[in-house]
Amino acid sequence: MKIRTLFAATATLAALAAWPVASQSTADFPTKAMTYIIPFDAGGESDISARFQQSVWKKYTGQDVIIQYQPGAGGAQAWSQLNDIAGDGYTIMGINLPHTILQPMEGNVGYTTDDLTPVNYFHYTPNAILVPADSEFKTLQDLIDYAKSNPGMVTFAGSGSKSANNLAQAQFDAAAGTTTTYVPFSGTGPSITAVLGKQTTAGFNYATSAIAQGDALRILAVAAEERMPAFPDVPTFKELGLDLVGGAYRGVAVPASTPEDLRQRISDIVSEINADPDFVKKMEDGGFVLTDFTYDKMPEFIARMKEEYATSAKALGIGQ
Amino acid sequence: MELLGYFLDALTPLNLALALVGVVLGTVIGALPGLSATMAVAVLVPFTFSMDPASGLIALGAIYTGAIYGGAFAAILVNTPGTPSSIATTFDGYPMARRGDGGLAVTLATLASVCGGIVGALALLFLAPPLARVALAFGPPEYFWLAIFGLTLIAALSVGNTLKGLIGACLGLLLSMVGVAVVGGDVRLTGGLPAFLGGIDVVSALIGLYCVPVILDLVATRAAHLKVELDDRGYRLREAFGIAWASKFNVARSSVIGTVVGILPGAGGSIAGLVSYTEARRASTRSANFGKGEPDGVIATEAANNATVGGGFIPTLVLGIPGTPPDAIILGALLVQGIKIGPQLFTSEANIVYTFIYGLLIATILMLPAGLLIGRYAYRSIIAFPKSLLVPTIAFLTVVGSFAINSNVLDVQMMFVLGIVGWVLNRYGFQPSPIVLGLVLGQIAEQGFVQTYLIGNATGNLLGMYFGRPISIGIILAALLSLGYPFYAEWRMKKKPRQPLTEIAMQAESHPVRTDRAPQDGPRTTDRGALIAGAAFVALGAVALANTTGLSPMGSVFPRAISILLILLSAGLMVLSVTGRGVRASPPEAAETSRRRLLLGAVFGLWVFVMPYLGFAVTGLAAFLGMMVIAEHDSTSRLVWLRRVLIALGVVGLFWLLMARVLLLRMPAGLYF
Repeated sequence: MKIRTLFAATATLAALAAWPVASQSTADFPTKAMTYIIPFDAGGESDISARFQQSVWKKYTGQDVIIQYQPGAGGAQAWSQLNDIAGDGYTIMGINLPHTILQPMEGNVGYTTDDLTPVNYFHYTPNAILVPADSEFKTLQDLIDYAKSNPGMVTFAGSGSKSANNLAQAQFDAAAGTTTTYVPFSGTGPSITAVLGKQTTAGFNYATSAIAQGDALRILAVAAEERMPAFPDVPTFKELGLDLVGGAYRGVAVPASTPEDLRQRISDIVSEINADPDFVKKMEDGGFVLTDFTYDKMPEFIARMKEEYATSAKALGIGQ
Repeated sequence: MELLGYFLDALTPLNLALALVGVVLGTVIGALPGLSATMAVAVLVPFTFSMDPASGLIALGAIYTGAIYGGAFAAILVNTPGTPSSIATTFDGYPMARRGDGGLAVTLATLASVCGGIVGALALLFLAPPLARVALAFGPPEYFWLAIFGLTLIAALSVGNTLKGLIGACLGLLLSMVGVAVVGGDVRLTGGLPAFLGGIDVVSALIGLYCVPVILDLVATRAAHLKVELDDRGYRLREAFGIAWASKFNVARSSVIGTVVGILPGAGGSIAGLVSYTEARRASTRSANFGKGEPDGVIATEAANNATVGGGFIPTLVLGIPGTPPDAIILGALLVQGIKIGPQLFTSEANIVYTFIYGLLIATILMLPAGLLIGRYAYRSIIAFPKSLLVPTIAFLTVVGSFAINSNVLDVQMMFVLGIVGWVLNRYGFQPSPIVLGLVLGQIAEQGFVQTYLIGNATGNLLGMYFGRPISIGIILAALLSLGYPFYAEWRMKKKPRQPLTEIAMQAESHPVRTDRAPQDGPRTTDRGALIAGAAFVALGAVALANTTGLSPMGSVFPRAISILLILLSAGLMVLSVTGRGVRASPPEAAETSRRRLLLGAVFGLWVFVMPYLGFAVTGLAAFLGMMVIAEHDSTSRLVWLRRVLIALGVVGLFWLLMARVLLLRMPAGLYF
């Protein structure tokens, strides 16, 4: 009980300390460097896109942003502590989908989807089917035909179980009427290595991974709305008649105690950076697809994604 | 000739300065357990945005290689791997330091690291594109067998005590499975606590299992931490060169192993060190001395782990697939600079790549003078520090290190708990190393095994996948060889007259560390300690086994197998202990020593559990002062105490600044700061 009282006292003190900041005009926010927590290890897509933002952050806010890492439990470690941070707008955190919807479905991870306050989902990395350059499968149809006549024989390397890649593979099986085998690896790097080394038939990975490989890999299709600037010759699943759009979405979240006007302001900063020509070029060259899910569109976006993941989650046996 | 031009580019004053500063900074950070190469590189990435790409890369590469090398200091001087890459350095480095050869061990580690680093960098310079294929040839079965090969080291590490070694390995393997499984995505062995979802951090476990027992033993006795010879023989460079030259094949073999393992994404320096240690032990004529302070053990590990730096850059630069975690960050830094990674990099951006490789090479060579000086200083500080400062400083570093990994207090608490458990188990004859091996290799073994099964099952070629691939067969043979060789060596030894020991090895024989076990041929009474431990492990195995029900088949096969194995082995231990066989625990100690130990443990425990509520700096300082008093065996004047209090303030303040302001970690604030 004592500890609880201590906590309450600290929280009150923190709230008092934050008060003057919150009451300041949001027009001149920020007036000091901001902290941007990435809930993953350095070097992943979340980190790289944040680093791209960091390189132009000062141009739009007049202040620096400091990137810190708090990895653990696939992001859950940091997200479960997000609301303990002071809501003065100076600490923001990277947030990802499907992670923040699937993890709470799976069991007690210390937070629920609705505990978190994303203010802007600014990009996603579409899923894509990759094969080695000299693979016998030239088109997606080749692969589907083979998978239909050899149920289970097609193996897909992907990053993690019950992940964006795994969801995509389940959705693909449902849409194309095939049975394939998903082989989870401990990250994008190892799974791309497996594809390049022909350990598996193909890979269900993010399109970003194909950028570095140049001619060594062929993309059969990407799960984007329209063709990606980085791969103008690669068809989308939609073009090929499969309704498959998605990947991992990444955004920025704030503690729940952050006032409305600051949430809006931070969302605006992220949107402004999303329009920076330099930033756009780096992101698109890297295979990231920019999105525009700003704070006002957030409730609708999250509701839609929840619904979308619910069906495929069932196929993967999540939340039962 | 073009290559020569790039070499000159790397020699600009700025690049040389970056290489030197990087190596020094990296060495210091690597020497502090828990502060890893990954962290140092991540913090410095933003500074390189404004540099020209090659210079930025040189700075990052220099820090990286320095940090991998610096890990040896903590391993040798306080028995705690500064980074996971130097786990195997503790096996022989610490015994060497205990018997007064710490300076020699540091010098040897430096020479070996420089040699290994150069081999790795040369491979990167001349052979990168063809060697990158190695990464692709290694599939899930090869990773599985590589992990098994690493586990065979347990047999060697627990000679005469194999049963307890195997039980320890099972414990480590079970620990490695805590949290969300990569394959299958099941939540395992967390006891329903969200805190365990992320699993048990290897580094915090390393710090706990290796370092906490050292602290507890330090405080218990009046004896000095390390034996110091009256005539301090300095660097002992000539002697070290002699030993290294005599072991040139060991250096070469370990460097090559390190380079190749570095190329494999997801394997890393810890495995490189363990594999080359195993190989060095097998190939050595003095294999019985390994683990007791054999210089070849230090040489093998350190040559291999620094070779992984160059090796790891090969898939990073050629394939765009990071070989190690720091490589992943460097890859990100390159992307931010707008440089396209991949096969075309070596031609399109040749000036950047080759300037960087030369810079890395130069940084590696600079490690020799820089490392010797820093190592000398570290060694002298460790032997010059009075116990009442050494104990709290090391304890403080364990907390700093285990916190720094993920900015998470839970890791600190886990470190402490594992440390206490490790100390108790050690008293009953369970060494920490098999547990650590299980923990480090468990995930790789499990993922490789399940992935192989999935692929083999899908393609209808299960046996072929596990046993039919050429590289797999090679690794299996090597594993069998390293398991069987000790028996062969023993048999051959009996037939031939004993080989004369080197001077160092003779010292190792005459100053064995931790062989204070009760004689084997005492009266055959029930060994109650082992009986209790066995019963506890049977219960633990049963709990783990019960936990596997309801998991997906993918997620349950490994934990189920391991917990059944643990139950069987522990039952065997119980049978042996009833009949009075097996290795016994050391006898209970005097009341005075155990009182200090208990007190220190209590202060330590209070510290790590109160920290999130009261704040890092306040609790750190209080615990530091408390431990200072506990660790002092003599009465000392007030002036001395005053000086020590000032030092305490300095140490705590310095690290708080380093963590909060330089490394930008999220500190537990609590009530104070």
